[in-house]
Amino acid sequence: MSQIIISIGREFGSGGRVIAEALAKRFDIPVYDRHLITEIAEKTGLSHDQVEKYNEVPKSRLISRRVRGFSNSIEDNIAEMQFEFIENKAASGDSFVVVGRCSETKLKKYPGLISIFVLGDMSAKIKRIKELYNMNENEAKAFIEKKDRKRKSYHNYHTGLHWGDSRLYDISINSTRLGIDGTIDLLEDYIKARINGSQK
Amino acid sequence: MTAAAIFAVIIFVVMFIMIVLDKIERQYVTLGCGLLTIIVVFGICMRSGEAIWETLAVKSFATTDFWYQVTESESKGINWATIIFIAGMMVMVEGMARAGFFRWLCLKIAYLVKCRTVPIFITFMIMSAVLSMFIDSITVIMFLSAVTIELAHLLNFNPVPMILSEIFCANLGGSATMCGDPPNIIVGTSLGFSFFDFLSNTGVAAGICLVVCVLYFYIVFKKELVSNNKGAAVDMSKLPKPKDAIKSKKDFIISSVIFGIAVILLVTHSVTHLTVATIGLFIAIITLISSGRTSLELIKKVDYKTVLFFIGLFIVVSGLEETGILVLIADFIKNISNGNAMIMVAIIIWVSAAASAFVDNIPFAATMVPVIQSLSSAAGVNISTLAWSLSLGTDIGGSATPIGASANVVGTSVSAKNGHPITWGKYCAKLAPATVIVLAISTVYVFVRYL
Repeated sequence: MSQIIISIGREFGSGGRVIAEALAKRFDIPVYDRHLITEIAEKTGLSHDQVEKYNEVPKSRLISRRVRGFSNSIEDNIAEMQFEFIENKAASGDSFVVVGRCSETKLKKYPGLISIFVLGDMSAKIKRIKELYNMNENEAKAFIEKKDRKRKSYHNYHTGLHWGDSRLYDISINSTRLGIDGTIDLLEDYIKARINGSQK
Repeated sequence: MTAAAIFAVIIFVVMFIMIVLDKIERQYVTLGCGLLTIIVVFGICMRSGEAIWETLAVKSFATTDFWYQVTESESKGINWATIIFIAGMMVMVEGMARAGFFRWLCLKIAYLVKCRTVPIFITFMIMSAVLSMFIDSITVIMFLSAVTIELAHLLNFNPVPMILSEIFCANLGGSATMCGDPPNIIVGTSLGFSFFDFLSNTGVAAGICLVVCVLYFYIVFKKELVSNNKGAAVDMSKLPKPKDAIKSKKDFIISSVIFGIAVILLVTHSVTHLTVATIGLFIAIITLISSGRTSLELIKKVDYKTVLFFIGLFIVVSGLEETGILVLIADFIKNISNGNAMIMVAIIIWVSAAASAFVDNIPFAATMVPVIQSLSSAAGVNISTLAWSLSLGTDIGGSATPIGASANVVGTSVSAKNGHPITWGKYCAKLAPATVIVLAISTVYVFVRYL
């Protein structure tokens, strides 16, 4: 496998981003997540905050309209720029890790794609978010639910497929079972097995 | 209310909601709802084969009037003339775009004004309005906004004020002629008006409004336009040359000649008696013949989704028309205006504008044409007065919000993709007041000239 593209879908609080960064380090390839925001900001001249504001959020249907592939929604335009960016990266033959951005569907045609969805038990996710964002239990739960609702809506709108549906991904894994480090190890083995498998 | 009327209303409302929600592509929505109208309203409820036949309007192709019209006539059901004309113009515009015509024109004008920001701002607004009189505003804005951004990056000015002004002027220019905006084509072909009828009525109003809005935008955007430039001399050697925009000289000349022929045919069609359907078909045929081997690619580029959207839409509106719903709406307008023509005109202009600011103005116009026909015969107000009011209201009202018209969506999208997102707040702060000013002028214009 000359090119590997590791696509990580994730529930909020499941540690998906940390897992993606660790895998990128272990395979010595770049990761596109927050970096994707910077890339888009640099390319378009938008501020980092502007891209961040509209990043991976669904558009409001009532105040948006699409005409011959053009959309007035800034969310849509930012999303399309990101899809185009990862598509160009994939087409250029580069190997990379990408977090979210419907990449498991958008990059499906590339044989080097390994798609992963990371989920977690709600109790474990709450514990993580409480610590990371200094929130109480209820706030953390509401925050997780809100974030996941947005991710689901964003994903389903841009792909027409169900976010988190195991049939979309090569592997779905609950990070609570093995812990974040254990999950990273397991995924590393899985990716290596895929690479070796394709070379045989 | 009969069962047929109830189902016709339900189908229409569902269609509108689904278009707004944008979950399913709009051509499938209108075609699906059109099919339901034929089966449920005309077939099951009315058991009227005649209504289906009239709505499909296939026999209109066989009439001389469809192609060559000596006397004014009105059409019912699917407005095939509108559909053929729009498809024909799409083929011509695609040929022009392929040859590099629009980019060449934008760059040529920028060079003529020596690439100075304020003159570009003013000439691009006028160009946007003039081109939109003959070509669909989507294409006009697609090219104009792209060149504006390119020039803005090279000349270091903020492109957003210019794009917003171009969008507004494209919609305004579209109101000036019969082929400028789809609602006008629907109004014109449904009620038997000519290109010149529009030009001498809505065209005059649009001309007055254009002068006012150029002044308005200059005052509103003056600061933003000159802030980065600071009067520095422009190094034109760094700019792309107009001649480089031309991809093939032969195609460029051919497409320019065809465009010229289209303009002449449209301007003179009340004299030649050629209908817009004939003109659209003729223009498409000569474009395809002159394109030779690339003609198939041009046909593939036709926006079939829009064509199918129109077909479904006309069927659904026919459901409302055949079941008498639109007469009820006309009676309602007549009653609340107490038969006063001024109130009627004001209602048509402002309600059309308010609706068009938020929903697609094409279904609205298609629905309102039979309403103003009924209103005219019931209240004794000249149909042309109501038609100009409807055209001005729907065409101009669409400028008020980013989703009101197709040009707005395309302009804001091109801007966002190039690093200049335009939020609802930013858009409405400048364009909603302009819309209100232009609507007020149009209302006074209709009052003074026709009532």
